[in-house]
Amino acid sequence: MSTSTLAAPASSGEPPAPGRRFRRCCQGLTAAGAVVCLAGAFTQTRQFAHSYLLAFTGYLSVCVGSLCLVMIHHLCDASWSVPIRRVMEHLAFLAPVLAVLFLPIAVLAPSHLYDWMQADPQTAPALRGQALRLSLPWFHGTTLAVFAIWTWLAWRLRHWSLQQDGASPNQPAGATLRFPETLLAGLSRALGHPTEPGLVVLATRMMRIHASYGICLMALTLTLAAVLWIKALEHPWHSAMYGVYYFAGSLWVTLATLYVLAVVLERAGPLRGVLRRRHLHDLAVLFFAFTLFHAYIAFSQYFLIWNAALPQETVFYVKREAGSWWGMGLLLVFGHFLVPFLAWLRADAKVWLPLAVPLCVWAWLMHYADLAFNIMPLIHPGGFRLHYLDLGCLAWMGGVLGLVFHRHFAAHRPYPIRDPRLAEAVAAPSSPPLPASTMPS
Amino acid sequence: MITPDDPSRQPDTARRGHPSAPRQSPFHPATPASYGLLAQFDSAADTLRAAAMVRDAGYRHWDVHTPFPVRGMDAAMGLAPSRVGWWAAAGGALGFALGMWMVWWMNAHDYPIVVGGKPLFSPIPALPVAFELSILLAALGALGGMLWLNRMPRLHHPLFNSDRFKLATHDGFFLVIETADPAFAGDAARQLLRRAGSRHIEEVTD
Repeated sequence: MSTSTLAAPASSGEPPAPGRRFRRCCQGLTAAGAVVCLAGAFTQTRQFAHSYLLAFTGYLSVCVGSLCLVMIHHLCDASWSVPIRRVMEHLAFLAPVLAVLFLPIAVLAPSHLYDWMQADPQTAPALRGQALRLSLPWFHGTTLAVFAIWTWLAWRLRHWSLQQDGASPNQPAGATLRFPETLLAGLSRALGHPTEPGLVVLATRMMRIHASYGICLMALTLTLAAVLWIKALEHPWHSAMYGVYYFAGSLWVTLATLYVLAVVLERAGPLRGVLRRRHLHDLAVLFFAFTLFHAYIAFSQYFLIWNAALPQETVFYVKREAGSWWGMGLLLVFGHFLVPFLAWLRADAKVWLPLAVPLCVWAWLMHYADLAFNIMPLIHPGGFRLHYLDLGCLAWMGGVLGLVFHRHFAAHRPYPIRDPRLAEAVAAPSSPPLPASTMPS
Repeated sequence: MITPDDPSRQPDTARRGHPSAPRQSPFHPATPASYGLLAQFDSAADTLRAAAMVRDAGYRHWDVHTPFPVRGMDAAMGLAPSRVGWWAAAGGALGFALGMWMVWWMNAHDYPIVVGGKPLFSPIPALPVAFELSILLAALGALGGMLWLNRMPRLHHPLFNSDRFKLATHDGFFLVIETADPAFAGDAARQLLRRAGSRHIEEVTD
């Protein structure tokens, strides 16, 4: 395979100009955000805790969404996602950073976030049926387990991907397998794979093995996380589809993020000649599907609660019809669903960058509004209010995560040069590279 | 099927001369009208190249028949994006409106009945019905639009008069230029097809 000629060497030392600009921007955001957060964290702790949780769940969406997409890539043996696979792997590997960023939430949880932690199970009737689920050991244990699982999956998937990059085509695998993975490889051997593959093949196989059980763990952990960190803010309320609601929104915003990152990285150079119009189209199609999927889930939740009209369920929406939350609900119906749906209905609109890039930025706003609609009515029952701490938390966390992402991205090759489907993804005769004129000014 | 190169199955002239045969029937014209030129190619790549040449020569009534979809053929033939999407969109919009109207008519107009203290009509419980009907009519619209734009169903096509054309479902790659094309001039079209690399060109009659 002649892919080695396609590969730009991993950039070492000082990154090129666009990368430097991005890093400076992240440093600025981190510094400014830190000042704002410190200014408000001690005087308005309750607001800070909720703003922080809101920003955290927003960035977490992109991390877990990328992790899901990487695993789907391996499970489907896909070619369309090869050019952006490395970007997804780096985004997924923000999981350990997010685990550290969760610490303030864990500290503030009993006093300022989750009132079930203060409630007495003897007197609070809503707690009676969920004594185990809403207990501090369960909260901490589950949080630890969830982050451990995400970190393990993201780490191993990225590890094998980078191993594959550095391998020469016929390099033997050698002793690259360590303990738990030897068991997994043994299982795959027992299922009939040839015994001694080269490193390139072994890496692909290991990534697929991790993806196979990982995708099941994702369904479980993502539901647990969404229920425990967001839904439990209102513990008497129940929704069986809350996990998939958060999942749908997360993948939606991840696809929008990847679209913008792909365009930017193509312009800036690292993905030039690799990213085709077809890949953007595929990303947009999946984004479009998740637009519908999220609307379907959100509507189903509302529809069931509306139809049953049980007081302990409708309380969630009653609270969210007060003041400007009513308008926010309508904004979500039209802005989260109808605008992206109609804007990207046409096939050619999906690769028309003057529309696509603003739409992806809009998706970020809508996802944030969606999460705010779920979290913020608890401290602002009168309506939506954009607090300076909201922006401070967003800026600080975004800056930190951006710096980590940039560090990872600059240290490795921008796309997996030994992916078995790279040649197929790059050499598509009917999909020319992006025309320069379509970039928005 | 009647073919020019199979004399045993071609009794036209004899039968047409017979006194009992119908004269000048629209179903049996005295002289078969020319439908077009059928050119066979050896490979998908040859056909792709030939299609680009025919497109550039300015022909409009022509088509390509291959045993499998050839990637890039749409561009080589200069085809605009399919219009089936509009049919699907129209069907979907119609289904949505129909679903909403149906629920309103049944629950709030024809037989109004209060359930659980809810309003007689609300778009919320009507939405699943409207959604399902949107899907159904969008699918039917796409199917109907595809048939309509392809001018199907039809019982006969002149290309079936050619025995060789049967290979289009096996391993034959064909390009047809219709006589009805405004740019059609018999010899020029034949020469173009020959230049494009066809090793077998025949005239198809209707």
